[in-house]
Amino acid sequence: MKKSLNSFDLLEYQPNRYPFLMVDYVTEFVPGKYANGYKNFTNNEWFFPVHFKDNPNVPGVLQLEAMAQMLTIAITTLPGLKGKVTHALEHTVRFKREIRPGEQLILKTKVLLWKRGICDGFAQGFLGKELACEANMKITIPEILENFIPRKRNVKKKL
Amino acid sequence: MTNKDKYEKVFIKCFGLDKSKLKKDVKYNSVPKWDSVGHMNMIAKLEEAFNISMEMDDIIDFSSYKIGIKMLKKYKIKI
Repeated sequence: MKKSLNSFDLLEYQPNRYPFLMVDYVTEFVPGKYANGYKNFTNNEWFFPVHFKDNPNVPGVLQLEAMAQMLTIAITTLPGLKGKVTHALEHTVRFKREIRPGEQLILKTKVLLWKRGICDGFAQGFLGKELACEANMKITIPEILENFIPRKRNVKKKL
Repeated sequence: MTNKDKYEKVFIKCFGLDKSKLKKDVKYNSVPKWDSVGHMNMIAKLEEAFNISMEMDDIIDFSSYKIGIKMLKKYKIKI
């Protein structure tokens, strides 16, 4: 049976909130493997009046954020990671098409590697079947990563 | 390829170093690319190169090129 998260349930796994929550619904996910879903962009979005007045479209940085937030859900649904904060480490992103008011960005993300607090992933955003953006991403849960870096041990020893 | 070649290759590739720099030892945070992310990347590459899985304490203590050589002896890897 496919697992999904509605707009309320996903808040347990994704710490971002209005006006920065870029995921509306998670249609399907397997913890540690992938998470898919969508974000609807209506004329009410806060950024359309300013980006841009005569040509409203979704800023690239927010498209990237939407992909990163969905990838985060693929990780934070793993046991013990609910609601953990993730940080971006490295992203390589390609934008293919403008996203305009009224369109739905379908998000598909895949975990390529999850080890010791670092996730390598791949994400794509579609408008219908048309690819709008895609990214190779590296995100981390700092709380986990910090347990493995030499600096921490040295600090503890000094204390 | 010897174990030393493999070991050096990981450092050179992960941190973009010149081979000569390794002789003087290289320490965590002493070169721009050996930060927390670079550290985890280097550990993953070493695990892949030598087909080992390192323990958490060893990953934390792996704070220089020379210490790493000693560390890998624990995993029966002689550099």
